[in-house]
Amino acid sequence: MWNEVEQALTHSMTRMLSQLASLLPGIVALTTALLVSALIAWALSAILRRSLAGFDFDRRVAQWGFPAMAEVSPSSSPTLLVTRAIACTIMLIGFLIGISAFDGALPSQFVIRLFAYLPDVMAAVVVLIAGSITARFLARSVLIGAVNMNLQYARLLSVGVKWMVTVLAVTIAIERLGIGGGIIRLAFGILFGGIVLALALAVGLGSKELVSRSLEREASKTTADNTKEAVGHL
Amino acid sequence: MELDSLSQPDLEQIERMGSADVVVGVLDLEPLEEGTTAVAITREALAGFTTPLRAMVVCGNPASNGTHGPVTATLEVPPEAPQSEIPSPEASKNGQSLTVFSCGLPPASQVKSTQQSISGAYRSVFVVAGKLGVRACGVIASRPQAVTHHWIYRLIQPVVDLGFDLVAPCYTRQKMEGLLNRSVLSPLHGALYGERLQNPMGPDFGLSGKLLQKILRQDASRRGVEVNTLASIASAAASGGFQVCESHLGVRTQHPTDWGNLSSLLAEVLGATFLEVEARATQWQSIRGSKSVPRFGVAEAPPSDIAALQDSAQEPSADIHGMVESFHLGTQNLQDVWSLILPPANLLELRRLSRLPEDQFRLPDHLWARIVYDFALGYRLRTISRDHLLRSITPLYLGWIASYTLEMQTAGPGEVDSRIERLSKAFEDNKSYLVSRWRWPDRFNP
Repeated sequence: MWNEVEQALTHSMTRMLSQLASLLPGIVALTTALLVSALIAWALSAILRRSLAGFDFDRRVAQWGFPAMAEVSPSSSPTLLVTRAIACTIMLIGFLIGISAFDGALPSQFVIRLFAYLPDVMAAVVVLIAGSITARFLARSVLIGAVNMNLQYARLLSVGVKWMVTVLAVTIAIERLGIGGGIIRLAFGILFGGIVLALALAVGLGSKELVSRSLEREASKTTADNTKEAVGHL
Repeated sequence: MELDSLSQPDLEQIERMGSADVVVGVLDLEPLEEGTTAVAITREALAGFTTPLRAMVVCGNPASNGTHGPVTATLEVPPEAPQSEIPSPEASKNGQSLTVFSCGLPPASQVKSTQQSISGAYRSVFVVAGKLGVRACGVIASRPQAVTHHWIYRLIQPVVDLGFDLVAPCYTRQKMEGLLNRSVLSPLHGALYGERLQNPMGPDFGLSGKLLQKILRQDASRRGVEVNTLASIASAAASGGFQVCESHLGVRTQHPTDWGNLSSLLAEVLGATFLEVEARATQWQSIRGSKSVPRFGVAEAPPSDIAALQDSAQEPSADIHGMVESFHLGTQNLQDVWSLILPPANLLELRRLSRLPEDQFRLPDHLWARIVYDFALGYRLRTISRDHLLRSITPLYLGWIASYTLEMQTAGPGEVDSRIERLSKAFEDNKSYLVSRWRWPDRFNP
């Protein structure tokens, strides 16, 4: 009986080892693909970084009307953002090549599904980046406008607008990725509604201040008109 | 603007006229004083010259050029003169008498701001003047209620008789008037271009044909860039080596201050100014010091009611508390924005300033000069959106007004002038700061 057990174990071990051995070329291929892609990514990003720096890319991006790009970039440098994005893409391509080197149905299916999913991922990334830039821009516009209108809770308004746009962008991105389904829509509704309500309250309170100030100005206007405009700018 | 944007009758009028000595533009859409027309006051102004001049009047307001109904080109016939006395263009070429034609400006777009409309109208007048090959061009863009024939004469006479290329206006002002000119435009122009002018952005100017042609050429070469002609006149004259002078025009009627739109006004005016600073960087970096320019005419005394107010130091004062509050609100909330424009040393000084009690609130001249320079540099570098940058200066500008008002509460006109001279000196002293930051924005960030 022990002989049979021993035989079964040996068989199973041999089968396991032979399966592992059949995977080994794939693993080696994956590692090689990763190493080569890392090397290419490093070399390409170094060349790109140098040529973009020579082109004064950081300043030109701001001049072309995308000053917000510097803010979302690592070390406030759009050059770094571009080179890192390209390096990551090359690494991803290397990884996919390595994965497809496995001679099995599962990895091939994985690659096919991954490629099919890629457009959605890209769309989600674009939505997130655009949302982030828009949120920052609008938040700053609201902040400066509210400060110039002498609203005490200018920052609250600005943060509210920033979150509203961010929540919208994140929801669109998640929806695009097909994660969460109905829960996301529900959560978005609750969050968005909450932010709008909070902003409405803030604006309501703010207008109280504005209206009273405007009434005061109207009341004092007659005296000012009788004398002369106190301040002239040009 | 090209000539073809004018109406057909106006074009025919210009063609018929062929050439002229003077073009006078009256740009404001408000009508002149009752019973006067732009043509009539131009006639009066030109009568002061010893030699007869052929003139074209370009009007923004249909009623001001003496025509009735739609703005169309008409040969002006003075109501008092019999038809036979109106000379033909040929007759006046021989120097027999005065000839005045008039035409209307194309209507300004509704979406344009005041500054943009004035700038567009200026360009139209310049194009007409360029086509007619004039010797002098006078443009009145102020509200026309206070405008008399003296204004036109004082703007044109130094060009026609004395050979100056630019006559900048000099107005009789109260101490709380022209604050943007006093705080930024005039000291900045003096420090950068080396010529001290009370109003570098006019809006009323007299120009020679030579300067006018240069501005037209320059506008043509900067196509695609929204150039404000008004902002480029004085800087073009100063950096082109043209002869500049000032003329006293008297009291100027201004539109009431719209406090709700102050940031828009600042964005417009400072945006145009900073654009000029950027475009003329190579010229102003080599200029050192500043000089006064010849000033013609006698400064008119302010109207009696204002003079009485000034004498008794009861001039209606600005809302100092509100302005200091705006400054505090700015320092609390706009630190993130300002930190992208101002270097740490200036931010620190602003923070220190915000802790002062209201009656001791004073914005030092050197700090204000550096702030203006930092914003000019930020505008050039586009560290943030240009509109955000220009609008975020509003609390700082209000802080400057509050500080100035507190200092000048009991001051007479002489003290106000010396106060502004001190500020101009601070701008000149800190010019090396701007030059260093302009050349090495990353390395020089104190």
